[in-house]
Amino acid sequence: MTVSTKVRPTRSNSRNSVVNFWQKHKDNILPPLFGIAGFLILWEIFSLFPGVRLPGPSSLWTDERTRTLLLYPFYDRGGLDKGLFWQTMASLGRVAQGYSLAALVGISMGILVGTKPLVNKALDPIFQFLRMVAPLAWVPIALVALQQNQPAAIFVIFITAIWPILINTAEGVRQIPQDYINVQRVLKLSKQKFFFKILLPSALPYIFTGLRIGIGLAWLAIIAAEIVMSGIVGIGFFIWDAYQQNYVSEIILAVIYIGAVGLILDRAIAYLQKLILPGE
Amino acid sequence: MSVFVAVDNIEKVFSLSSGGEYVALKGIDLKIKKGEFVSLIGHSGCGKSTLLNMIAGLDLPTEGIVTLEGKKVTEPGPDRMVIFQNYSLLPWLTVRQNIALAVEEVMGGLPKAEHKNIIEEHIDLVGLRHATDKYPGQLSGGMKQRVAIARALAIRPKLLLLDEPFGALDALTRGNLQEQLMRICDRYQITSVMVTHDVDEAVLLSDRIVMLTNGPGSNIGGIIDVDLPRPRQRMEVVNHPSYYSLRSEIIYFLNQQKRIKKLRAKKVAIVARHGLEKVNLEIGFVPLTACAPLVVAKEKGFFVKHGLDEVNLVRETSWRGIVDGIVGGYLDGAQMPAGMPTWLTAGGDRETPVPTVTALTMTRNGNGITLAKKFYAKGVQTVTDLKRMLLESDSKNHTFGMVHPSSMHNLLLRYWLGAGGLDPDRDVRLETIPPAQMVADLKAGTIDGYCVGEPWNFRAAMEGIGFTIATDLEIWQGHPGKVLGVREDWANAYPNTHIALVKALLEACRYCADEANHQEIRELLASRQYLSTEVAYIHLGDPNTYTCNLETPMREYAHHRFFGDGMNRPSRTEHLWMMTQMARWGHIPFPRNWVEILERVCRVSVFSTAARELGFSDIKYRREPIKLFDEITFDAEEPVGYLNSLAIKRNFTMAEIHLDAPRVLAA
Repeated sequence: MTVSTKVRPTRSNSRNSVVNFWQKHKDNILPPLFGIAGFLILWEIFSLFPGVRLPGPSSLWTDERTRTLLLYPFYDRGGLDKGLFWQTMASLGRVAQGYSLAALVGISMGILVGTKPLVNKALDPIFQFLRMVAPLAWVPIALVALQQNQPAAIFVIFITAIWPILINTAEGVRQIPQDYINVQRVLKLSKQKFFFKILLPSALPYIFTGLRIGIGLAWLAIIAAEIVMSGIVGIGFFIWDAYQQNYVSEIILAVIYIGAVGLILDRAIAYLQKLILPGE
Repeated sequence: MSVFVAVDNIEKVFSLSSGGEYVALKGIDLKIKKGEFVSLIGHSGCGKSTLLNMIAGLDLPTEGIVTLEGKKVTEPGPDRMVIFQNYSLLPWLTVRQNIALAVEEVMGGLPKAEHKNIIEEHIDLVGLRHATDKYPGQLSGGMKQRVAIARALAIRPKLLLLDEPFGALDALTRGNLQEQLMRICDRYQITSVMVTHDVDEAVLLSDRIVMLTNGPGSNIGGIIDVDLPRPRQRMEVVNHPSYYSLRSEIIYFLNQQKRIKKLRAKKVAIVARHGLEKVNLEIGFVPLTACAPLVVAKEKGFFVKHGLDEVNLVRETSWRGIVDGIVGGYLDGAQMPAGMPTWLTAGGDRETPVPTVTALTMTRNGNGITLAKKFYAKGVQTVTDLKRMLLESDSKNHTFGMVHPSSMHNLLLRYWLGAGGLDPDRDVRLETIPPAQMVADLKAGTIDGYCVGEPWNFRAAMEGIGFTIATDLEIWQGHPGKVLGVREDWANAYPNTHIALVKALLEACRYCADEANHQEIRELLASRQYLSTEVAYIHLGDPNTYTCNLETPMREYAHHRFFGDGMNRPSRTEHLWMMTQMARWGHIPFPRNWVEILERVCRVSVFSTAARELGFSDIKYRREPIKLFDEITFDAEEPVGYLNSLAIKRNFTMAEIHLDAPRVLAA
C-alpha cells in the first residue's frame, strides 16, 4: 500500500504563528480590552468633574510618589518604608502561615467530623456559630489573647479560612458514594487503605472547593486585619497609612495589587486542583 | 448436592422516617446448591436487591438467618463478592489498580508475583488487555462492568452476587457480556445469585429463577427450573422448545403481580344492597365467543335487573389468570372451562384443593381441533390419517396447543388423539398456550395444531393458515363448554348473590340462544373491551362458507348452544366424565371420595332455585349416558372400571381428597 504523505512545512513562520494566534483568539482578547479601557476612560472623565476628590487612573503615573511606587516595587528603605512587592509579600507570608494552618486543621477536623457522626453532633453547633463571626470581630480578641500583631494576624486568617475548608471536607466525607463504601465492606479493606484509596480521593473535590473559598476569605481577612493592626509591614497597613496621609492614588495602586494577588491565589488553587484531580 | 447457601425464613423490616415500619420481605426460604446460577426476578421495589444484600451481608435480616456453607452471614466479606449495577469502580484508580486493590487486600498471604499473575490473568479473561492503564472514566459502560467482573472473579469468591449487572448497558453489549459471564461461570463452576428484571437474561443465565411477589411483605411467588441444556448460546436458546414457555411463565407472573398491586390499591368494601350480600362483583372471563352470556348480562342489563349493580368483568388472557384470581380471592366468580371446578377442588392447582362450585353451565359446543395447513396438503382428514402421517415422519416433534389442563379442549383433544391410537403425551407434545395466542403460534409454526374455543378455529381457517379437522360434532356433540365457577366459601358466604348471579346469567344465556339477537351479540363481543377482533370471526350459529372452502366435504359446524333443555343445569355425570379424563392423563388423582366431590362441585340447588324464580322451571334435564364419537359409552356408575378399560392412559392414582368442612368466608 502506498500512502502519499505530504511533507508538512516544518519551518513555521514566527510571524505567521502570531497572526494565526491573533486570528484564533481575537474574539477572546478584544472584548475585555475594550471593557477595561472603557471603564478607565469613564473613571478619568468622572474624576475631571469639579468637586470630585477621587483622582483618575492617570494619577498613578502623574502623581510622583505613586509613580515611584509603581516603578520601584522592590525598594527597601528599612522600617515600614518598603516597595509594594515587599508589602504584598509580607501580607502573603501571613496568609501562607494562617492558611496552611487552617487547611491542616480544617481537613483533619473535617474528616473526623465527617466520619464520626457523634463528634459531628457535638461540634456542629459550635462550628455553625463561629463561622458566622466576621473576620474583623476576631481582631480585638486575637490581639488581647496573643498580645502581638503578627500571631494575631495569622490567627485571624486561620479562623476565617478554616470554616469553609472544614465544612466542605466533612461534607465530602459524608458524601462518599455508598458504592465505594460497599466495596470497602465487601473487600474488608483495612482502615489505612480505605483512607488513602477511597476516602481521600473521594472527598478531594469537596476539599478543594473548601480550599478555594478559604483562600479568597483569607486574603480578604488579611487586608482587614492589617488595617487595624498599626505599625506592621503589609499591604493592608500600607493602605491605611496612605489614607491617613491622604495619598489617594497610592490607595488605588494598592487596591490594584490586592485584586491581582487575590486573582492569582484563586487561580493557583484552581490549577493545583486541576493538577491533582484531572478531569474533575 | 448439598446446600451451599441457605436463606432461612428471612424477614426484613425497615423503619420509616415517619415512624412507621415497612415489611420489605417476609418468610423467604431459599436453598442454593454449589455451582448453581440463581436469578431473583420481580418488580422494582419488591426487595430483590435487599435479599441479595442480605446474602452479601451488606444488610442484615430482621428475622431469620442466611448461611454460607453452614456458617451464619453476619457481615460482608470477600467470599461473597458483589458486582453492583453501577460498577462501583474507583474512578481514581486505573483498571489494573482497581483489580489490584481487591487482590492485594483479599489475597494478602500470597507473594507479590502471584498477585500480579492473578491480576493479569483476569484482565485477559475479560479481554481488557488494551485498557489496563485507563481510568474508569475513559471506559464505556460495558468495559467498566467487565472490570467489575474481573475484580470480582480475581478474588475467587465462593459466591458471586450480581445486582442487575447489565441493567445500564445497551442490548448488544449486554448480550456479549452475558455470554462472557456464562462461559466464565461454567468454566469455574461459580455459584451465583443475580438480581435482574430482564426476563430473557434470567432465562438465558439461570439454572433456577426465583420470582418475588410485590411488596410490602414480598415473598417467593414461584421458582422455575430452567432446563435448557448448557452450554447455552444466546442466539440458540430461543429455539429451544421450552424457552418461550419459561419466558411466558415469568412474564405472566410479573403481569399478575402488577395486577395484584392495582387490585390492592383499589380494594373496595363489600357493598350489600337489595337484600343481596354483595353486589359489587369482579367476574373473570377469557375473550372467547363463549363469553357471550357474561357480556350480554353486563351490556343488556341482566346483572342490574337482578340487583347486581356493580359487576365488573375482568378480562384475563389465559385460564391461568382465572385460576389465580379465584385461588387468590380477587375474583368473585369466573367463566371457567367445564372441568375447572372439579380440577380445583381435587387439587389440580399446586396440589392444594380449592373447593369450587358451579351452578350453571353457560355454553356448550363451540370447540374445534385445528391443524396447520401443511397437514391438509398431505391429505390428513381424520385422526387415523394424522396417526399414519406422524408415524411416517417420526423425525420431528409435533406440538399441539391447548388452553388449560382442565378445559374441555385439552380433554377432547386428548380423547380424540387417544381414540385414534395416538398417545397425547408420548407421540405428540401438548403445550398450554393462551387462546388468543394460538393463531399466532400456528402461523409461526411453533405448534402444529390446537384445540380451542371459537373464534380461533374460524380465524385460522379464514386466514388460510390452518383447517378445522374436527368439531364438536365429530367428538362429542353438546359437550359442556364453559361454566360459571365460584369458590365454595364464597358461595356459602353470599348465597343470595350467587342465586342472583345465576339468574342474571341464565337469562343472558336465553338471550344468546335467540337467533334474532345474534348480530347484536357479535358486535358486542367484537368490541375492544371484550374480544377486540373483527365481527367476521365471531359466530354464534352456523359459520359462513369460508371454513367449508376446503374441497373436502367439511363437516357442519356445531353451534354454540346457550340455553335449552338439559343445557344449563350442572350435570354430575358430565363432571364425573371430566374427572375421569383428568385422572386418566394424570392431571389430578382420581378421588376415592368422588361422590362427595361431585356433590359439592355441582350446586344443582342454586340452579334450580334460580330457574324456578325466573319461571324457567319447565326446562328439563337430560339423563342419558355420555357417548362420544368412538361409540364407547361412559358408565357413570363405574368410573374406575371405565378408566381401567382405556388403552391409552397414564398411570392414574387414586387418592382421598380431604376437603375441609364447608367453610363460610369471613365477611
